[in-house]
Amino acid sequence: MKSTVRQNLLDAFRNAAGEFISGEKLANTIGCSRTAVWKHIEELRNEGFEVEAIRKKGYRLAEHPNTLTENEIYLGLQTKYIGKTIHFYESLPSTQQVAKELALNGATEGTLVISDEQTLGRGRLARAWHSPKGTGIWTSIIIRPKIPIQQAPQLTLLTAVAAVQAIEEQTDIDVSIKWPNDLLINGKKVCGILTELQAEENQIQSIIIGIGINVNQQLTDFPEELHSIATSLSMEVNDKINRAKLVQSLCFHLEKLYETYLTLGFQPIKLLWESYALSIGKQITARTLNGTYSGIALGINEQGVLLLETSDGKIQHIYSADIEIDALNR
Amino acid sequence: MLKVQEIRELIRLVDQSSIDEFTFENEGIKLIMKKNNLAEVRELSASLPVQVINTALPQAEQKPVEVSTPNVETKIEAPVITNPETAEEAKLHTITSPMVGTFYNAPSPGAEPYVKIGSPVTKETIVCIVEAMKLFNEIEADVEGEIAEILVEEGQLVEFGQPLFSVKVK
Repeated sequence: MKSTVRQNLLDAFRNAAGEFISGEKLANTIGCSRTAVWKHIEELRNEGFEVEAIRKKGYRLAEHPNTLTENEIYLGLQTKYIGKTIHFYESLPSTQQVAKELALNGATEGTLVISDEQTLGRGRLARAWHSPKGTGIWTSIIIRPKIPIQQAPQLTLLTAVAAVQAIEEQTDIDVSIKWPNDLLINGKKVCGILTELQAEENQIQSIIIGIGINVNQQLTDFPEELHSIATSLSMEVNDKINRAKLVQSLCFHLEKLYETYLTLGFQPIKLLWESYALSIGKQITARTLNGTYSGIALGINEQGVLLLETSDGKIQHIYSADIEIDALNR
Repeated sequence: MLKVQEIRELIRLVDQSSIDEFTFENEGIKLIMKKNNLAEVRELSASLPVQVINTALPQAEQKPVEVSTPNVETKIEAPVITNPETAEEAKLHTITSPMVGTFYNAPSPGAEPYVKIGSPVTKETIVCIVEAMKLFNEIEADVEGEIAEILVEEGQLVEFGQPLFSVKVK
C-alpha cells in the first residue's frame, strides 16, 4: 500500500458503497485536511478511477477501472489478512521469487504479490507458464501455518478448492479439479497452482502459494501448442472478466478455507475437493519420474495422496505425477 | 521390502517397548530382534533389498550382525560412508526428509544439482527438493560441513524421516 491515508480513503469509499461522502467527512474519517483529501482523489483519478465530485454533496467513486492495481484489489477486499498487504508490479520475472524474498524478510501472513505480467512464470518441473500482460492473475500468497511439514501438501488441494469457488462465484462456469490442483474447464487448463515451502529445523517458516489463472486471454494470446490444452475464463463466457474482483474473491475463499482447515483439519477440505474432482472413478494414466501407472483413480487419502488401482488390483500411492484422464471416459 | 529407516523405526519401537523378542516376516525377509543384554539384529534372506543391505552390510547375508541397541543407528549408517578414513574422525550429520514425496537433486530437470559429494554446505544451503502434490520443499543442510554421501536417487519417492544425505560436520 502506498500510504495509510490512501488505504483509509479507499476504505471510506468502500463503506459508502457507491454513495456520496462529503469532503469534510472524508477528511475527518481519514484524519487529514480537505486539501490532502483532494490531492489523494486526484491521484486516484490519475490511476483511472472515476471519482465524481458534486458541490455540497461530496465525492463518490463511480466506476472501477478494469485494470489490476493494488488499490483496485484492496477496495473490495473482504478478508482479515489474506491480501491485506499487496505488492503490485507492472511486470516481474516471477511473483514466486519476489514473494519468497519477502517471506524471508518477515512479510506478514496473507501478503500478496501480484504482477500484471510475468516474463519467467514457471510451473512444475520448471515448465514455462505463459503469463502475458494485462490478461491473467499471476500471484503469490504468503502463509505461515503452524502445522507439521508433512501435512503442508494438503494446502495445495485447499488452494485449488478456493480457486474453483472464486471462479464459480465470479463467472458461473463449471470448473473441475484434476489431481492435485489443476483447474480445468471442459478438459482445458485454466488455472495452475505451485506451492513452495521454507522450513527451519522442521518448523514451517512460510509457504508461498503461486497461482496462475488465465482470465482475459483470447485464443491468439496463447502460443499455438497450448491451443488444444489451455483456455481462459473470458473465452468460456465470451466476455471480459474483472480481474480485481476475481482476486478479491480468491482471497476471500482462500482465507475461509484456510481458517476451516486450521480449526477442523483436512477432512472438510477433502470433501469439497472431491466434490469438484474430475478424475475419481475414471481410468487415468499417471506419469511419474519412476514410471507410468494406469488404472482407476479411487480418490485421495487423508493426506491428499492420489490412490490409483492398477489392473492387477494393487493400489498405488501417487505423490507426484502428470495425470491424463483417458479419453474414452472423459 | 524393508527400508533402512523402516528397520530403524522397528528397532526404536521394540527398544521402547517391553517386548524382549520380535520376529517379522514379509516377502521373503525375516527380521529377528532380541533385546536381552546383547541385542541381536539378524537379517535372514536371500532376496534382501540390494541397495540398502548389500552396500550397507556386505556380509549381512551370511553373518548375523550383532549390535547393542544404543549403537544401532551408527552401526547401520557407518558402512555407507565412502571415505572411511576421514569419517572416523569427523562427526556425521544425516539430513532426513521432513515429508513423503519425490526427491529432486536439482532445481529443474537437467540443471546442475544443488550439491555433489564433497560440496561444502552451510546451514542455509539448499541440498535438494522434496515434492508432493506440487508442494516443493527446499531442504536446507541445517549444519555446516561437507556432503559425504548422497543416499537417494533423482526422482525417487522418499519416506518421512528417510536419510537423504550424510554431511561431514565441520
